[in-house]
Amino acid sequence: MEYLSTDKIIVIDLATSKIEETALDESLVSEKIGGAGITKHLYEKYLNDDPIVIGTGLLTGTTCPASAIGLITAKSPVTGKLCHCPIIYKVGIEIKFSGYDYIVVKGVSDNPVYLWIHDGVADISDASGIWGKDVWESTDSLRKLMGDDLIQTMVIGKAGENRSDYAQICYNYWSSPDRFGLGKLFGGKKLKGLAFRGMGLIEVADHENFVRRSFEILKEIKTNVFMTKKGIAEIASDIGEAGIKEWLEPIVHRHSADYFTPYATNTVVFLDEDPKRVEESKVAEPGVLISDIPALLAFKKLGLSAEDTGRALKACAKYGIDPAAVAELSGKSSLKEIVDSFDGLSGTVTLKGKGSFSPWCPLKPIFNDFGLSGDAAEAETWWERRQAVAMIFGIQPVFSVMCPELSEENMLELAGIGTELDLTQEILDRVVADLLK
Amino acid sequence: MNLYQSYADINIKLPQGKARYISKGNAGIRIPGVPDPECRRMHYPKIGIYAGSGTSHSWLWFVDMFDRMGFHAVSVLDAPAVRSGRLQQMDVLAVSGGDTVAIAEALGEDGARQLAAFITGGGVYLGACAGAYLVMNSSKPHLCHFNFAAVKITNLSKRLPTCHGMPHKFSIAYGCGHIFHPVREAVGLRLTGVPPFSSEPALLAPLYGGPGMLAPPEAQVLARYDHFTDKTVFLVDKDLAEETLISTAAALRVPMGNGQMYLFGPHFEHPHYHRANRLVANAVYRDSGRNPDGRPPVAVARDALELPASESANFIRSLRRELSNSRIVAAGFEMLPVRWLIGAKVYEPEKIRVFLDAMWRRLKPLEKRGRIWARAGVPDLLMADACETTVLLRRLKNEIDKGSDTDLIARTLFHLLQRNTMRFFELYFQTISNNLTP
Amino acid sequence: MGIKIDALKCINCMACEMACSYHRDDGFAFLSACIVVYRAREKQDYFGVLLKEEEFLKVARPEGLEVNRIGEAADPNKKADASVKPMLLREGCDLCEDMDDYGPMCIAICPADAITLE
Repeated sequence: MEYLSTDKIIVIDLATSKIEETALDESLVSEKIGGAGITKHLYEKYLNDDPIVIGTGLLTGTTCPASAIGLITAKSPVTGKLCHCPIIYKVGIEIKFSGYDYIVVKGVSDNPVYLWIHDGVADISDASGIWGKDVWESTDSLRKLMGDDLIQTMVIGKAGENRSDYAQICYNYWSSPDRFGLGKLFGGKKLKGLAFRGMGLIEVADHENFVRRSFEILKEIKTNVFMTKKGIAEIASDIGEAGIKEWLEPIVHRHSADYFTPYATNTVVFLDEDPKRVEESKVAEPGVLISDIPALLAFKKLGLSAEDTGRALKACAKYGIDPAAVAELSGKSSLKEIVDSFDGLSGTVTLKGKGSFSPWCPLKPIFNDFGLSGDAAEAETWWERRQAVAMIFGIQPVFSVMCPELSEENMLELAGIGTELDLTQEILDRVVADLLK
Repeated sequence: MNLYQSYADINIKLPQGKARYISKGNAGIRIPGVPDPECRRMHYPKIGIYAGSGTSHSWLWFVDMFDRMGFHAVSVLDAPAVRSGRLQQMDVLAVSGGDTVAIAEALGEDGARQLAAFITGGGVYLGACAGAYLVMNSSKPHLCHFNFAAVKITNLSKRLPTCHGMPHKFSIAYGCGHIFHPVREAVGLRLTGVPPFSSEPALLAPLYGGPGMLAPPEAQVLARYDHFTDKTVFLVDKDLAEETLISTAAALRVPMGNGQMYLFGPHFEHPHYHRANRLVANAVYRDSGRNPDGRPPVAVARDALELPASESANFIRSLRRELSNSRIVAAGFEMLPVRWLIGAKVYEPEKIRVFLDAMWRRLKPLEKRGRIWARAGVPDLLMADACETTVLLRRLKNEIDKGSDTDLIARTLFHLLQRNTMRFFELYFQTISNNLTP
Repeated sequence: MGIKIDALKCINCMACEMACSYHRDDGFAFLSACIVVYRAREKQDYFGVLLKEEEFLKVARPEGLEVNRIGEAADPNKKADASVKPMLLREGCDLCEDMDDYGPMCIAICPADAITLE
């Protein structure tokens, strides 16, 4: 696969330490497009080995707006079903630029390991030095060990090591869209996590037209109403949460975006530093980045203050546990009790949606109505499809439910220009149907 | 066709023993087939590139240029190699930029004698920037052993003119005076039509401290500084820059015994200036003739051995791993507010990646060959140094983060990088060139 | 005429890096960009933008702009070699002079309008 791709799939067997590299066949892309279409195919291919498949979308890391994500496809310990969890922030694109489109991890390691993926090299490395460390300590250690502050990580904390059902795979220091207990899978394989860094280059078939069309789409996006807004509070407010902006604003520091995502879907709150400070804080860990709106709202509903919510979310991120599950299952309403409930957290969570895609992403359109009538069933079908398409092309899922300008037609057009493959609506419909069945 | 490809095509045929001829009158013409008195048979040259003490990183520009053009019988030489007589196996020696005095000091009297014997015996000397200054008559210590060309330097002055910008790049002490640099970046040159620089009337080339020259009687002027461009950066008053450079020689061909010295003020070997590169290649074809019957060269190192395929693959995989680890750390240094003064030269963090990337880019071509050629022990030494480079880089990062003094680590690191890159290119050219000869 | 960056408007999305690198490489990478998002202080949520020009490095911090001359001697008391060669890896900003359709690519692609021409 020459274009929009590293042309590499790697299969890593943690039991035998065997690493096998194969080319990504163009015929597979023509049939399954990319992202979840192919990760599902690989999952089924290696089904007997209980695999975790990490992948990237066909458009990930290009000039297509919001082409930010990778994804993890695996069988969720929480739902028992196959799920696709987005890899957000800058971690998703780093996978592709580290040299691989898809990574299949199978088998169980005898000893704790992590995978160091860099510039087309995959190393299984000893994790004994970081096993037992929390997520923040683990990422700090990996960055210090490798000598680079921009290494992107997917790691588990104590929740994953202890094989909690609600263990999350966290990205760098932050909670993730993992509602599926995928951290438990990592822990079960004695896989502390993955670290990525690369300086790859992705070739594009007709780069001039690809970029031209990307700019045209961006121009349309920039007329959208959300371009005057930033951050999670605006999203929460739009989906019906009254008073959220006023509640959160006193501790808000800045907002930031995933790769080339025109709306800043991440908000950092400062808990141990003046939120209005613009200079670099002298406090090592002044706050926490929040992208998880349902979890934020769940803690707010428990009666926590904004600051205590921030501290709860920070604690969840360090421990590597799903904050929405903690909010729902802890049965507590004070910060200390909530944090004390991490160890041994149990119960059954209510997961919205059909279980394939993460309800970390609000299950309704944001800022725009997408022409929906308001009927719940219609909205549910719309959301599932929207998530599926985002997972196939590598589009930031929250942005995909706020931006009608990123239509399926536009994504297919870009994919076709970029690969010179004939990727039709029919093929996309088939791949989506397969993901949703 | 890509400019370099035409040279690469010739350089595939020459070592196969296929005859090609070059006109003595106009080096732009390659005439296959029947010789005539106006032509001489072209020769696939053995090229030495000096990369020892005193050089900066611009010797890698010669490496890139020769590599792209298919000149693969290349040896990268340090000062001991020159002093011990390795030059006598070469047809061409290229010396690029750096600290001229440091180069002279490293080569010493023995090196100067070897260089003189090489050129007078028929060798071609390509000296760009510091490499040009090196062989100009001078009474300065160390340089005084290299009085091969009575060139007058026009940017040498007893009194420093007023500096209008970039004071850190403006001048160096030179004997009783100063060499000052009137301009930097691209300058326009006019070619004089003297072969081998007769294929076009004008071109651009970058100037980074090289000389303006007044030719001695025996020399031919190949190119003159003609005009400044909108990219030219002035370090002195524009009138003074014009007075110092315009119409002076930018490229000279100076005979010495049976050999020739090509002295370049600008860097004709810079990878972004393809037309200038072509002229250098033409010079090499025209004057390298120490092997007059045109026999293909033997392998660059007779003691190089071919490694088995699996060992070769493992070696490249391991080297790729370590170079990747190093590059990742090095990339993080870019644009950090840190630089090191080592000797008289400023070393910026980006320079680390220049060395690493020069090796990194060549891993795929090595992989494609399947089997590596190397002298015994060299792959192990390369790997050891590559691992040590990563360790040093990570330590450097740690020390920078702590705000500690990093001069000593940086000095060790750059020395290691230089050594390892030289070793790498020894292996690289041995592997590539050992696949050429029948 | 030059690039002006408002670090407080920046949302750390790295589109400018991608566009600049594309301008130089005709492919998608971050290798060659002369504009780079500084994002190494992730826990402190401190990010800004660096722009390499021919002679200067512009550092657009949230607290203000800093302009540093490239290649100055580490020890200002020692005379540095005057013939320092420029690096090839990241060239200085050329305002995308050959991209007539877009002008400077970083300006065209920035979704937050944090980059403008001054």
